[in-house]
Amino acid sequence: MSDAMQETGAVLEARKAYNETLRIKADQTRATWFPITIMILLIALPLLQFTGNYNYLLHMVLLTASYVALASSWNILGGFAGYISLGHNVFFCIGGYFAGMLVARYGWSGIALAPLAGLVAALFGYVIGLITLRVRGPSFIISSIALVMIARLLFDHWKFVGGANGVTLPPTELSVQWAKLPYYYAMLFIAAFTVWCSYKIKHSKFGLGLRALSKDEIKAEAAGIDTRFYKVTAFALSAFFVGMVGAVWGEYLTYIRPSIFLVILIAAYMVLMCILGGKGTIAGPVIGAILLTAFNEFFVATMGASELNILGTGVIMAVCLMFFPHGIVGSLARKGRLPRILNWD
Amino acid sequence: MEQIIQVAVLGIGLGGVFALMGAGLSLVFGVMRIVNLAHPSLIIGGAYLAYWGFRIYGIDPLIMLPVCALVLAATGVLFYKVFFERDAKSATYSEMTVLLTFAIAMIVEGALGAAFSNTQRVTSPSYATDAFFIGNVFIPKGQLYAGITSIVIIGLLAAFLKFSRLGYAIRATTQNREAAALLGVNVNMVGLMSFAIGIGLAGAAGALTSFVFSFFPAKHWEWVAVLMSLVVMGGMGSILGTVVAAFSLSIVAAFVGTWIGSTWSTMTFFLALFLVLLFRPQGLFGEKPELV
Repeated sequence: MSDAMQETGAVLEARKAYNETLRIKADQTRATWFPITIMILLIALPLLQFTGNYNYLLHMVLLTASYVALASSWNILGGFAGYISLGHNVFFCIGGYFAGMLVARYGWSGIALAPLAGLVAALFGYVIGLITLRVRGPSFIISSIALVMIARLLFDHWKFVGGANGVTLPPTELSVQWAKLPYYYAMLFIAAFTVWCSYKIKHSKFGLGLRALSKDEIKAEAAGIDTRFYKVTAFALSAFFVGMVGAVWGEYLTYIRPSIFLVILIAAYMVLMCILGGKGTIAGPVIGAILLTAFNEFFVATMGASELNILGTGVIMAVCLMFFPHGIVGSLARKGRLPRILNWD
Repeated sequence: MEQIIQVAVLGIGLGGVFALMGAGLSLVFGVMRIVNLAHPSLIIGGAYLAYWGFRIYGIDPLIMLPVCALVLAATGVLFYKVFFERDAKSATYSEMTVLLTFAIAMIVEGALGAAFSNTQRVTSPSYATDAFFIGNVFIPKGQLYAGITSIVIIGLLAAFLKFSRLGYAIRATTQNREAAALLGVNVNMVGLMSFAIGIGLAGAAGALTSFVFSFFPAKHWEWVAVLMSLVVMGGMGSILGTVVAAFSLSIVAAFVGTWIGSTWSTMTFFLALFLVLLFRPQGLFGEKPELV
């Protein structure tokens, strides 16, 4: 080994040690106990079923968890890499249909199939990303909308998967009291896993590369980042988690059809949750998902009509974009007012 | 042979309407760098105006057309003042405005849906279901009139951009915003005017649409991808490119619809979009590749 190489090695060692001290310091100020406590509470929540029927509560938590997973995985591409996709529900659909068809034909378990469904969605994401990620900004967003339209046309007319009517899946054999539990835990686990992964990604070299290319892709390329590989991988990764959610969601509803997965409102929700909470932060999508579920329940309970729901969603989105473009977590962090329990970055 | 001419005629008729829809979109993008996803929902708004004008007062949609254009242009000014008249210098401006127009599209769709419900409507003046015959070629009057009106309007737009003072300013701003501002063009005013004109064109297209297609508030999602693919294919911001793309793709789509099946004809536009992204990301008439 030459001297020069040894020297570089020493510099790298020193850098590593310095980073380690930074990490420890950050860890000491982070309130890791908060998400863990919430998780434990949510895991224990189904115990309530012994005392009565809390299926509505469980359903709301399940729904929120699925939104958390969807928003967090959208955040990997939209928040970290800065590529705004309005067509991520395509992967939701692919995951749902892949697992759903195997459930319907062979009676396999959708929950067990979820990782595989995620992989299939990621594979599609990789191939689609190779084409659509060639352009950035407006053209990319447009191509993502076109993707939804293509998928909708295909799934509406594909006889094998039942066309527009979809496929009915066998209902669970558990009693009403316990029927939701497997899906509840599966979704909770997927949500927690997605948030944890997005944390890990943000703090890896890969995540750093993504954030660099979101600021200025040409400079990032010049700095030696393989931007093409990075963004396509980010696309595939975010498709992976969305596909997993789709697999569990389809089996939970006991039917799959294009109008569940491939409506523009779902894509809008993914974007809205991230913007509401704070794009590019870890806690943002979680906060956004909780708020959006609450808004939705409120709208449906007070106004009912789905047109007003669309109107309300649009108004909230416009107000957020115009006045809080950094979202709740992002704005608070910029002012240095972010409570410690929400600082998950 | 006759069948080929027949299909081509139908394609050209639709192409005119799509060209008019796309021209406004392209103009707004060229000057303001706003990808207006709300454009199709505003077209639906114009269509409703023409529809109610016909239903309540019996006014022909072709006569309602200038009214629709003016009302929508006024709406455009309002939207511009409320939503877009802010600092356009931010790096993520064009991405943020895409999301903002997405939200506006939802607001317009929700408002129209709440007001008029989601039933399918179509304006039915006598010519909408009538047709000419030249030999055995059948030319539906509705599409013919709509196509001719669109071509006339696009011609007027082209003349306006080519010869008027404001047209010069608009073209200058499209080419280079900073340089235009340096030479004394009031770029904010130009932005406002071109936004109003673009949305006014949406209103005009809406009046034509109201008797060519049946429509309902959620229909605009079907068009948004079609129109956007025209704009991307033409080269973002090139009105000529958009018009060329509209006519060529509509004709291809008409053939696909006849020979393969009408459900697949819209697929033509989306596949064309992906092919363009693959092989020529800057579009047919686009100048600089944004990022390849």
